[in-house]
Amino acid sequence: MTPDLEARIAERVRSIETTPAIPSIFIPLLEMLRLPPDQVKLDKVVELVSYDNTIAAQCLRVASSPLFGMTKSPESIKGAVISLGLRRVETILLTCCLSRAFPARNWIIDPGVFWRHSLGCALVCRKFAERLQGVDSDEAYMAGLLHDIGFLVNCLAFPDEFSKAMGMAVEQEMSFDEAELQTMGFTHQDTGNALAQQWHLGNRMTQVIACHHAPETSEASVQSLAAVVHLGDLLCRMRGLGYGYYEGRRVDLIGNPAWGILLQEHAELDRVDLARFTFELDESVAEVCELVATIFGGATAAKA
Amino acid sequence: MSFSTQTAVARSTGSRDGDTIDPVFRQMRDLVYKTCGIYQPEEKMYLLSDSTGRRIKSLGLRGVREYWNLLSSATTRDHEIRQLLNEVTIGETCLFRSQPQLDALRKIILPELVAEKAKQLTKRVRIWSAGCSTGEEAYTLAMNLMEETAGLLKGWTIEILATDLNDRSVETAQAGIYGDYALRHTTDYYKSKYFNVLDDKKLQVRPEVKKLITFSRLNLLEDSKMLFMRGIDLIFCCNVLIYFDAPSKSKVVNHFLTNLNYGGYFFLGSSESLMKLNDKFHLVHFPGAIGYWKPSLESGKQSDKL
Repeated sequence: MTPDLEARIAERVRSIETTPAIPSIFIPLLEMLRLPPDQVKLDKVVELVSYDNTIAAQCLRVASSPLFGMTKSPESIKGAVISLGLRRVETILLTCCLSRAFPARNWIIDPGVFWRHSLGCALVCRKFAERLQGVDSDEAYMAGLLHDIGFLVNCLAFPDEFSKAMGMAVEQEMSFDEAELQTMGFTHQDTGNALAQQWHLGNRMTQVIACHHAPETSEASVQSLAAVVHLGDLLCRMRGLGYGYYEGRRVDLIGNPAWGILLQEHAELDRVDLARFTFELDESVAEVCELVATIFGGATAAKA
Repeated sequence: MSFSTQTAVARSTGSRDGDTIDPVFRQMRDLVYKTCGIYQPEEKMYLLSDSTGRRIKSLGLRGVREYWNLLSSATTRDHEIRQLLNEVTIGETCLFRSQPQLDALRKIILPELVAEKAKQLTKRVRIWSAGCSTGEEAYTLAMNLMEETAGLLKGWTIEILATDLNDRSVETAQAGIYGDYALRHTTDYYKSKYFNVLDDKKLQVRPEVKKLITFSRLNLLEDSKMLFMRGIDLIFCCNVLIYFDAPSKSKVVNHFLTNLNYGGYFFLGSSESLMKLNDKFHLVHFPGAIGYWKPSLESGKQSDKL
């Protein structure tokens, strides 16, 4: 991308009339997630959440989902933390916060479809990271959730161009990023990068957002995380949690360079039964749809 | 370990009436997967529980725990799992069983195949329905390919080989007569275009579809017969390997690898896994379908792009 184009994107992102306003507790939460677990104080999290009853209520609903692991609905954030652990609850809270940043208007892409893909990818990344030694599964969840926020910037800052890209992707059954490149000359990775910087999401998240289609181009220390997101994204797109249209392509995850990146550090990847991993993802699709309807509103039916 | 936690099953509708499901069924599901590669998803656990009920009755057992003991005991396991699978997969066969596989065939694989064969100046596609049972899959493939003969496959020769171990199945397949149940996923478009109505209201596949298919009896374990199955572009072998023990399964999959052309694909049933039985096949994803790919000689060039 040329410096000119980069400046143009940054300018547009700054000047969006309804700039995505990140909820005030989002950044402090994200910062806490980056701290070593022993430095995070439960009371501080509870205090942050108590400013916002809606988010607290949504958090309790999500915490009671089988995908997050409680036997019955927790009665309080504190109760959820005791059962699920602080970091898991933080990721749930961040998920709920994100729904506020992009109210469901002026969307070109179907919001339900977008959030189903994002939440699905977050869960796949978490599950995938759990199979790999030394990879932070909560960070992988957040990276999966945020990887495509550039699409939302495109809706707000480049509505006409993005509409064309979407039309092309659907009509020609091609990847979204290819259609963006052909029609706009840049992709949601570039616009997502600009928003991530404006939101101060931190270097690792920003790099994943900027490089999730080409993890080998990210900094060496972020490549594993970007590779997990790249693979999670592809798998979701192949299993009913894509972008609501038929993507006419074959995906060879094991032959993918991202798989190679992970395999260099994680020999245990060879033991992952990809078919079973896929079947298990299928089982969670209905619940992902329900959760999205609860947290983000919008349609509940899976479309992809 | 599933995406959901153990508690998910207690909450989910493992049985149709929404009752919680006995955790022993999850153990059974895992054992069946480990032995045969068939994955029974949570929402279809009731099939496993219904099938188990029928087995318990037929064996005169006292309950599900006793059945689990039989199923997990080393001496009776292999036989009983196959009996159970017979119950689970009974009545599954029908035409147009897996639309995602058919979409992958027409939208992704055929264009790739046509481009590849153009380089070799050949216009022939050869597909094998291995373990074709009563012919539903072979006819489905034939009709789908015929839909492409005005476009992508114009001027092409289509050969479908359909084989089964059972003589009677092959005879039934050759007749090509199907009732409502087998045709439950077949649209009116296909029914009117490719079938004739018989006196008893059943539908019979038209001769122009039949002539694309060669039905024959074949034992997949017979080495000498496998020599005649070379040069295949695509193999469909759905819910067949589950009936083989591990060494036989491995042998059959090796035959498939030899018989497939480079760059060819091999499909199992939609809930079935090859479970790393052969690492020369790459597991690849199509939208909603899993296939196994025999890498082309120039696979470096063909590997998936980012």
